[in-house]
Amino acid sequence: MSSLTDYFQTDWEAMTTTDWVGTILTVVVFLLMVGLYVYVLRPKNRERLERFKNIPVDDDEHINSGDNNGG
Amino acid sequence: MDAAAEQKYDYGVVRWFTVMAAVYLVVGATAGVYIASELAWPFLNFDIPYITFGRLRPLHTNAVIFAFGGCALMATAFYSVQRTCATRLWSNKLAWFTFWGWNLIIVAAVITLPLGINQSKEYAELEWPIDIAIAVVWLSYMFNFIMTIHQRKTSHIYVSNWFFLGMMVMITYLHVVNSLAIPVGMFKSYSLFSGVQDAMIQWWWGHNAVGFYLTAGFLGIMYYFVPKQAGRPVYSYRLSVIHFWALMFGYVWLGAHHLQYTALPDWTGSLGAAVSIAMIIPSWGGAVNGMMTLSGAWDKLRTDYVLRFLIMSLAFYAMSTFEGPIMSIKTVNALSHYTDWTVGHVHSGALGWVAMVAIGAIYHMMTRLFHVELWSTKLVNAHFWTATIGTVVYIVAMWVSGIMQGLMWRAYDEYGTLAYTFAESVEAMHPYYAMRAIGGMIFLSGAILMLINILMTVAKASSERSIERARTAAATA
Repeated sequence: MSSLTDYFQTDWEAMTTTDWVGTILTVVVFLLMVGLYVYVLRPKNRERLERFKNIPVDDDEHINSGDNNGG
Repeated sequence: MDAAAEQKYDYGVVRWFTVMAAVYLVVGATAGVYIASELAWPFLNFDIPYITFGRLRPLHTNAVIFAFGGCALMATAFYSVQRTCATRLWSNKLAWFTFWGWNLIIVAAVITLPLGINQSKEYAELEWPIDIAIAVVWLSYMFNFIMTIHQRKTSHIYVSNWFFLGMMVMITYLHVVNSLAIPVGMFKSYSLFSGVQDAMIQWWWGHNAVGFYLTAGFLGIMYYFVPKQAGRPVYSYRLSVIHFWALMFGYVWLGAHHLQYTALPDWTGSLGAAVSIAMIIPSWGGAVNGMMTLSGAWDKLRTDYVLRFLIMSLAFYAMSTFEGPIMSIKTVNALSHYTDWTVGHVHSGALGWVAMVAIGAIYHMMTRLFHVELWSTKLVNAHFWTATIGTVVYIVAMWVSGIMQGLMWRAYDEYGTLAYTFAESVEAMHPYYAMRAIGGMIFLSGAILMLINILMTVAKASSERSIERARTAAATA
């Protein structure tokens, strides 16, 4: 490869429907993942998410109570 | 408390899966030690075709991955999903179907593989009728798991269940696609794919069997059993969510790194290697998350032998998830591919990570499932050290052997002639093959100690009638 541009050169005319479906799906899933990371890492969501960490430690308690846990 | 759990949950099938996992670890490791010994001392073939390396090697991999690993995954998933969802299994009968179906498949593997009935696809050797049975039984496992989550009494689905579910969904997809074949008889079929597509599909399956079955599934074990055994919540729940989604998104891209310098388009291997490197971040994030769960309570490792297994497994997880991406880089791969380094890498993951985290979970469950203390905690400690030392001896032998092998194969003189013959490289590897067999024997001795301990614990529970007493206590409470 003579340059980075050559390496990433794409023959767009040769793209099949399958190629496009795969490419679009990959980009969409990637963007969804980025969105999820933003949601998870936002400081205001910290407490909301972190309270679920106690579920396995508390599971002995809800054996007896059978009620909601962490909900 | 234990008595209440006995009444509230379906533990019977979990007990059987747990004990069978310990049995299959001994069976699979015995086969591994035997074939490792065959490589060091070839007379052990005894000119009997059924016990040659080529026949027993797939038996070894199927026994440890699908028999031991499968029973461990089914036991832990059925155990933890009930406890984290505060509900019993959706169908106890379907769980028993999964148990007997899975064990029949294992019996079929034990019969067919030594007979040479084999599809020649790595980690997917079993012939088409057994492949169909695997799909049916696996779907019964997944359906029961999903329906148990569906009827949960809790509002949130704990992260370990996400990991188990990710594994179940992806393994269904991978197994079905990779096993598509045209049967030409009861015991012979040909893959639907050919040439380079076959290779690509095979390693898409091969690496994702590692990524989803041996990693995601066992991370499900880690996220439930490490906090439970440590008595502390996981270090960061947010990190576990990121770990899960990064793993699900990233792992499916990696397969082509097994096919560097082959007929595959060059970019597929480069992409596989690039995503492999990126995967170090979530993998290490997960390992740190598991280890930091002990933050402020490291002293527990002095006295809690079960916790030692779980934490040591995370050290091996971190190590092998760093080593793998490095090996996928083309320049490193040019040296490491087709050598024993790969075998060492696989075993640092399989023995150090998969087996140890499963062993920790099995010991954890034994006391809670049988309502007695373990027969011997000293044996657990002895097992920990034999497992750790055996694994280290094994992987060090394979590192040295593999790197030496790679260097000998590529060495050439000033005329461009190879410096060593292939036979010379084989001769040079002999001491390390003996060392590998010894490492395997040390690990196997630990697995035998575990099986003895588990069987004696079951006998103790039986003589003390602990399960019946727990049921009675729960019924009268």
